[in-house]
Amino acid sequence: MMNRTLEHILPKVQKPARYTGGEYNAVVKDKNRVDVRYALCFPDTYEIGMSNLGCRILYGVMNQRPEVWCERCFAPWGDMEEALRREGLLLYGLESGDPIAEFDIIGFSLGYEMAYTNVLNMLDLAGLALRSADRHDFSPLIVAGGTCCYNPEPLAPFVDFFVLGEGEEVTLEYIDLYRQARDEGWSKEEFLMEAAKIEGIYVPSLYEPVYRSDGTLEEVKALEGTSELVTKRIVQDMDKAYFPVKTIIPSTEIVHDRVMLELFRGCIRGCRFCQAGYAYRPVRSRSPELLAQYGREAIENSGYQEMTLSSLSSTDYPDLLPLCDELLDYCAPRDIGLSLPSLRADTFSMGLMERLQRVRRGGLTFAPEAGTQRLRDAINKNLREEDLIQSCKTAFAGGWSGVKLYFMLGLPTETDEDVLGIADLARKVYFTWREYSPNKARGVRITVSTSWFVPKPHTAFQWEAQIPVEEYQRRVNLLRDALKRDKSITYNWHDPQTSYLEAILSRGDRRLADVLEWVWTHGGKMDSWTEYFDYQRWLDGLAACGLDGDFYAHRERPRDEIFPWCRVSTGVNHSFLWRERELCYESTTTPDCRSRCSGCGANKLLTGGGRCG
Amino acid sequence: MADRLLFTKTGRARYISHLDLMRTFQRAFSRAKIPIKHTEGFNPHPFVSIALPLSVGFSSQCEILEFGLLEGTSYEEVPERLTAAMPEGIIIHRCWPGERKLKELCYVNYIMTFDYPEGRPQETESAMTALLGRESLVVKKKSNKAKAGFTEIDIIPLVHSWRMECQSDTMMVDLVTSAQNPGLNPDLIRSAFCAENPEYTPDFVTFHRRDVLDGEGKSFR
Repeated sequence: MMNRTLEHILPKVQKPARYTGGEYNAVVKDKNRVDVRYALCFPDTYEIGMSNLGCRILYGVMNQRPEVWCERCFAPWGDMEEALRREGLLLYGLESGDPIAEFDIIGFSLGYEMAYTNVLNMLDLAGLALRSADRHDFSPLIVAGGTCCYNPEPLAPFVDFFVLGEGEEVTLEYIDLYRQARDEGWSKEEFLMEAAKIEGIYVPSLYEPVYRSDGTLEEVKALEGTSELVTKRIVQDMDKAYFPVKTIIPSTEIVHDRVMLELFRGCIRGCRFCQAGYAYRPVRSRSPELLAQYGREAIENSGYQEMTLSSLSSTDYPDLLPLCDELLDYCAPRDIGLSLPSLRADTFSMGLMERLQRVRRGGLTFAPEAGTQRLRDAINKNLREEDLIQSCKTAFAGGWSGVKLYFMLGLPTETDEDVLGIADLARKVYFTWREYSPNKARGVRITVSTSWFVPKPHTAFQWEAQIPVEEYQRRVNLLRDALKRDKSITYNWHDPQTSYLEAILSRGDRRLADVLEWVWTHGGKMDSWTEYFDYQRWLDGLAACGLDGDFYAHRERPRDEIFPWCRVSTGVNHSFLWRERELCYESTTTPDCRSRCSGCGANKLLTGGGRCG
Repeated sequence: MADRLLFTKTGRARYISHLDLMRTFQRAFSRAKIPIKHTEGFNPHPFVSIALPLSVGFSSQCEILEFGLLEGTSYEEVPERLTAAMPEGIIIHRCWPGERKLKELCYVNYIMTFDYPEGRPQETESAMTALLGRESLVVKKKSNKAKAGFTEIDIIPLVHSWRMECQSDTMMVDLVTSAQNPGLNPDLIRSAFCAENPEYTPDFVTFHRRDVLDGEGKSFR
C-alpha cells in the first residue's frame, strides 16, 4: 500500500501515523472490484478531521455500498507537505495510498471559513487545477458539503457542485448519477445540469452573480432551466438513519478520541445569532432505546474508555435523564466516562449532576452569551440569570470548583451596560461559590471568555454589521478593567483578526474567490493555526483584488439586500428571520419550538405530516 | 509476574509511536473482550507495558508486551482474538505467563539495511568495518533530560557483535547491541557512518528488530 518514497519520508515527519492509514476498521477494498472511488477530504489535520462525526457517517454510508470505495484524505502538516512536494508525491487516499487525482469524486467537508485555503492547497497537492473551469476532464468531480456551504459563493469557482444539508441520502444519489453519466459518456456540463435537478445540489456554474456599481448584488442570475432556489436535504427519520457504531479507531491520538453519540439534530431554542440553530432545523431526535444500544455497541467495537453525548443543546433532549441512567448502568462498572457538552445553564439539575459525577468529572461550561437579561432576551438566548445562578449553586454545592462562562461582544443592540453586565454576572457566580461551596480551601476558577460576534448567513442577524475592530477592542478593555480586581475570575478574549476574516468570508460573494486564490498563492494555508496564520497576507489579498473587507464585515444590509446565498434555502423563511430581527430590537423573546411553533417554515421539510420533534 | 505477548510490528504499523501503541493495545484488549488487570489508584486504566520501546519507523518481529490476563481467557486463544482487534501490521504470535525477569533481556539483534539503488560503492564495506572496529566511537545523542539537549555516548562497547552482507545495491549489517541500561539505538550507527563518510550516504536505511536475547544469546521470552 505504501510506496518506497513515502517510506523514506515518514520517519522524518512529525506524527507519521497520521499519513499511513491502516487503522482498525479502516475500509480496504479491492480496487479492481469497485466501480466508484471517492476521496472524502477534510481540509484540516488528521486529528481534527477524524474527530468529525459527519465524515464518519458519510464514510460508513458510502462504504456500505459494495461498488463504492470511499477513502480519507486530510491536509498534511507543513513538514509533510514540503516532503510531498520535494519528492513529487501527489496527495493520496489513506486506505489505498493511490493519488486522489485518479479517483472519481473528491468531496470536501467545509466546517469553518478559515479552512478554505486548505481546500485550494489540497487541490494543488493532488495535482489538480484549482478552478472548475480549468478542470476539463469529467473526473475527478470536486464536491463540497458542510455548514459553510449555506453560503457557497466564496468557493464557487473551485467546486463543481455543493451539497446542502445532510448528506446521507444525496451522496448516494449523486454517486449513482455519476456512474450513469460516466458509463454513458456525458460531458461534465451535461452531468452538472442533471445533478442540479437533485434536491439539495447547488451547481455554482449555473448561477451568475450580477453586481451593481456600489458592489452589492443586483441579482444572482439562475441560468435557463435551473431552479430558482435550492433547498437543503434532511434525514426524515433519525431512527432509520445510519449511525457509525463500527467506525475507524485511529492509532494515534485525535482531538475527540471517544465515542460520539448523536442525540438529535436541530435545536428548539432559536438563538438569533446561531447559524446552526437555524440551519439544522427541524428538530429530529433519536429514540433513547436506540441510542443506548448504539452507545453500548460503539464502546464494544471501539474499546474507547469515554463516551460523549453530542447535539446542539443536549439538555433539551426529552429523555436525557433516563438515557443517562441507562448508559451509566453500562459505563460505570466498566470505568467508562460519560461527558455531556452543550449544557444549557438553566437546565443543569441536581439529577443530571449526580449522574455526571458517577463516573469522571470534567469541567463545567455555560454559555450565557450576553451579560444582561435585556440583551439575552434580544438575542433570544432565553436564559434567566436566576437559572444560571441556580445551576452554579447546584454545581458548587456538588463539589465543582470551576466554571467557564462564554460570551459574545458586539451583539446587535449591545451597550456598555451589557458589557459591564458580564462582569457583574461573573461576580455573582463567584459569590454563589463563596456561599455554597463545601470546600473553599480548594479555591475557585471562574473563566470568562468573550469572542467577537460574527453575523452569519441564514440567521436573524444576517443583515447586521459586525462592530468595528476598535469598538470591539474598547469593549474588551472595558470588561478587562471591570474584572481587574477579581482574582478568582480569569478573562480571555478572542483575537479579533480571525473573527474579522470570518465575518468577510461567511457573508462573502463570489469575488472573494480571487482573494482566496491570492492568499493561497502567497503561501496561505492552515489559517486556523497560529503557526501559519498571517493576517497581513489576507489584508494584502483583499487590497490586491480591489475588495474592501469592511464592505462585507461592517456593513449593515438593508432589508431588500440580495444576498450571495439567495439561491440557497435552509427551509427557514427569510421573512421569519426578518421578523426575528425586529423582535430583537424590541428585546422580545420567541418561545422555543416545543412551547409553541413560530412558523419558521422548516417543518415543511418533513414529509410525514410536518411535526418537529 | 506479568503475562507476556510476542508480536510483530510491520508495514503501516511501524509508524505508530510507543505511547500510541500502548493505547492501541488497551483498546484492542477491550474490543477483543479479553479482560485484563487495571492499574490501581484514582484513575484506574488497563495495565500494559512494552518491554523495549521501538523507534518510530522500525519494524520488529520480537516485541514483548506485559499485561495481566484475568480469568476467563486461555493463553492459547489470545493471539488470534487480539490480532483480529488490531490495526493492520500488528500480529500477536504467542501469549504466556512471564517467568524470567525483564532485566535478563540483555541484547537486541537488529538488521540494518543500507540502500544504494544507484549501485553500492565498494568502499562502504571497509568503511563500516573500520567504523565498528574502532576502540571507541563517541557520538552525541539527543536527550531531553540533559541541559545541553544531548548527551555523549560511546557506541563501541554497546555493540556486542556484528557481521555484514553486501550486495550490489545494499549493505546489510546484522548487529547485536546492548538492550538496556544503556541500550543502543542503531540509528546512531547510521548517523555516525554518514557523518564519517558523507560520500557513502545511502539513499535510505531500514531497521528491523529480529530478536531479543538473554545473556547467553538465546531468545528471551
